[in-house]
Amino acid sequence: MLGGPGLESVVDQIISVITNDGRNIVGVLKGFDQATNIILDESHERVYSTKEGVQQLVLGLYIIRGDNISIIGELDEELDASLDLAEVRAHPLRPVIH
Amino acid sequence: MLPLSLLKTAQGHPMLVELKNGETYNGHLVNCDTWMNIHLREVICTSKDGDRFWRMPECYIRGNTIKYLRVPDEVIDKVQEDKNRSDRRPPGVGRGRGRGGGHGHGPDDASGRGGRGGRGGGRTGGPARGGGRGR
Repeated sequence: MLGGPGLESVVDQIISVITNDGRNIVGVLKGFDQATNIILDESHERVYSTKEGVQQLVLGLYIIRGDNISIIGELDEELDASLDLAEVRAHPLRPVIH
Repeated sequence: MLPLSLLKTAQGHPMLVELKNGETYNGHLVNCDTWMNIHLREVICTSKDGDRFWRMPECYIRGNTIKYLRVPDEVIDKVQEDKNRSDRRPPGVGRGRGRGGGHGHGPDDASGRGGRGGRGGGRTGGPARGGGRGR
């Protein structure tokens, strides 16, 4: 659970990140700092489209700069496993406009 | 683990850097600092659309223009080696050892250390990932 204000409670757990450019990246949180820069291990991007199912692109080890992060959420692994991503259709997110 | 420690450990390794403007830079990390400014060598720059390329012997990127960095998987294991090295320091030598009796601190500290231990063993196998979650 995201217990306190920080991200300590989700270190070594799988998180889902929405970036300012509208991407959804899922991976294991390995570390973070004051600026919300994060380390994501075994990460992959989920690409949503209305025409076909969700594509998963393997990204590997990533450092995402905090400036570019909109939302970080803990991933419910059980719920996620019950999803058939190949059947999910959704519009891609638009980038954040500053 | 701090993102900037990982970046520091990645010195000498190849990496991909995407900037906020969508350009990507592939090169070997020479050096970096606490602002995430980075110095790359043997760089290939790719335009936002991915249709134009430039080769340059080196470049210096201001940290605040970076969107993300992709680093080789093995670098994360090397950070741990560094950490273990500092952990091997004899107990009681460092500051802040004697205050363990405080209220909120003990449990937090312990759970943090447990997570770290699990990570070391589980990286290749994967089972460590599930280990942290209470069902």
